[in-house]
Amino acid sequence: MPDTAPAAVRADAPTDGQPIIEIEGLNKWFGEFHVLRDISLSVNKGEVVVVIGPSGSGKSTLIRCINHLEEHQQGRIVVDGTELTDDVRNIDQVRRETGMVFQSFNLFPHLTVLENITLAPIRVRKWKKSKAEERARFFLDKVGIPEQALKFPGQLSGGQQQRVAIARALTMGPKVMLFDEPTSALDPEVIGEVLEVMVALAQEGMTMIVVTHEMGFAREVGDRVIFMDQGQIVEVGTPEHFFLAPREERTKAFLSKIL
Amino acid sequence: MFEVIPPRPAPAGVAGIGGWIRRNLFSSPANTLLTVVTGLFVGYVVIAVVAWALFDASWGQVWANQRLFAVYRYPADLLWRPMAVLAAMMALIGVMGGAGRSNEILRGLFWSLVGFVAVVTVIAILFWPSARVLWTGVLAASVVGYALGAARPALVRALPWAWAAWLFLGFFLLYGVTPGSGLLRIVPARDWGGFMLTLILFTGIVPSFPLGVALALGRRSKLPAIKYTCIAFIEIVRGAPLIMWLFVASLLLPLFLNTDPNNLPAILRAYVAITLFSAAYMAENVRGGLQSVPRGQTEAARALGLGGWLTTSLIVLPQALRAVIPAIVGQAIGLFKDTSLVFIVGLADFFRVTEIVANQPASLRVTGGVKLELYLFVALIYFFFAYRMSIASRQLEKQLGVGTR
Ligand SMILES: Nc1ncnc2c1ncn2[C@@H]1O[C@H](COP(=O)(O)OP(=O)(O)O)[C@@H](O)[C@H]1O
Ligand SMILES: [Mg+2]
Repeated sequence: MPDTAPAAVRADAPTDGQPIIEIEGLNKWFGEFHVLRDISLSVNKGEVVVVIGPSGSGKSTLIRCINHLEEHQQGRIVVDGTELTDDVRNIDQVRRETGMVFQSFNLFPHLTVLENITLAPIRVRKWKKSKAEERARFFLDKVGIPEQALKFPGQLSGGQQQRVAIARALTMGPKVMLFDEPTSALDPEVIGEVLEVMVALAQEGMTMIVVTHEMGFAREVGDRVIFMDQGQIVEVGTPEHFFLAPREERTKAFLSKIL
Repeated sequence: MFEVIPPRPAPAGVAGIGGWIRRNLFSSPANTLLTVVTGLFVGYVVIAVVAWALFDASWGQVWANQRLFAVYRYPADLLWRPMAVLAAMMALIGVMGGAGRSNEILRGLFWSLVGFVAVVTVIAILFWPSARVLWTGVLAASVVGYALGAARPALVRALPWAWAAWLFLGFFLLYGVTPGSGLLRIVPARDWGGFMLTLILFTGIVPSFPLGVALALGRRSKLPAIKYTCIAFIEIVRGAPLIMWLFVASLLLPLFLNTDPNNLPAILRAYVAITLFSAAYMAENVRGGLQSVPRGQTEAARALGLGGWLTTSLIVLPQALRAVIPAIVGQAIGLFKDTSLVFIVGLADFFRVTEIVANQPASLRVTGGVKLELYLFVALIYFFFAYRMSIASRQLEKQLGVGTR
């Protein structure tokens, strides 16, 4: 693909905050394919950043670089003071501090809801089983499904499964939560229950990067919206900016499709 | 108001056995013809076989050589040793069956085995004075094991250790410890055989399981040395028939290890060949299971901070193995019958004993020889175990399919 795109836009966090994620000059290739180009993005503690963009623009790849599910070839990624290098200890450190919620839930089907949630706290954080279960039940309560603890994921609805996935990530006590289209695989009538949980989380001050096209969510709790296209950050602004006065043609074209 | 009408039987011709027969066997002229022809044929064969078995067959040779069939040339005065190993095995299986008695499959397998033992015990009590006590002991051990397992399900946690101890002590009990003539004198492996040997070789499936899992995981390793070693092993082993590997093990292994073949019992060599052969197939079965686990499972585990080993052992493997249990049971059934190939390296397993008995003068004196009887007997025993495993496999598939979780 020829390099016709204009110079990349920086997405720096407001200077009055305390940055927890800093990405500088990030480039990534899948073989020959240049999937992320010159991404510079920082996120402050407690900020909620919404990432939008057409399918295939690199949104998932970007947030998967942040917990090193994808390896980057160029640039720096620093999460809560730890730089992601090839050092496995750094990778493990970053993964302990970031929770991730996937489009397809990815609950472990052979474990109960409670076991899904307590597995990592017990094995990674080395908590006692009783403490892990207590925390797990606290978060299950918080996402509104305390009564499902002993069921298997296959026995729950999509919305319930995604809420379990959120509780699973939260129980590890992460400083940052990454959401990759958490409502795209859900039936329309259960999207609301998942968004509600996410809004509550944002209001409690969790740092969040959310790939989603739910612009209602962006308007309610989003601090900044980032529009990506062809592996680049094309436009950055407040949710209002995107609703009222998007600047770039590509942004306008995209927004006209989803709004 | 209305009155409750009591249920009426379905009209004749729809319900009951008669209805089923009419619907399935005589629904059309073509079907009727097929039913009649098949029925005549099956009837003829059954009558012929039964008539032969009752009036023409000479079962005396099966009866007279029961010990050869069971243990081959294992000394008669030491029979208590294999029987003690068998009793311990049945007791351990009993604990499993008792603790898992709510599981239809475990319970069914256990009672089938006990049924088999019970039949032999009754025969022993009636006809074999010398084996009465031994077989009654085996039956008692099974039942005691079952009762223990039922009363104390927590015993299951000790089972891996118990099986390891059984394997270790069992081997020494079978083989013996002292030279000479005592109770614990050594019985050279060349005297082991019969159904006992078939069972021993069949247990090769047990070590082949962890080996196969290791090979399957190794095949996915990022380290080229491990990866290609595993691939080479799997492909080479699967590339030749078991019979060839039995030859290789019996002829080449002693050369490689630079020992006299007689120092390395033929049974051990065959056992190694069978185990490794089975491991290669196991690896491919397990690999299929590993591939069926979605990538998202690994990613979710890694994102939670679980390391590679924990992800594999807690997330990927349990799901992969669950998916391939039916295939593994199928492999076990195959191996059970394939152990009969060891005759090619001079071992007298259950199948080979048949041939030996058929060539005894006593067999040859009977007009026409005694062959059919012997093979029929052996076939029935193989069938009992293979078919029982196959039922278990089908139940397992159903159970796993229903509870897909
Ligand atoms: N593992 C991979 N190997 C090769 N190409 C990939 C891989 N993952 C994603 N891609 C490609 O990278 C591009 C960006 O993917 P992705 O980040 O998933 O986009 P988005 O989430 O914005 O839809 C797509 O063209 C996709 O086909
Ligand atoms: Mg995506």
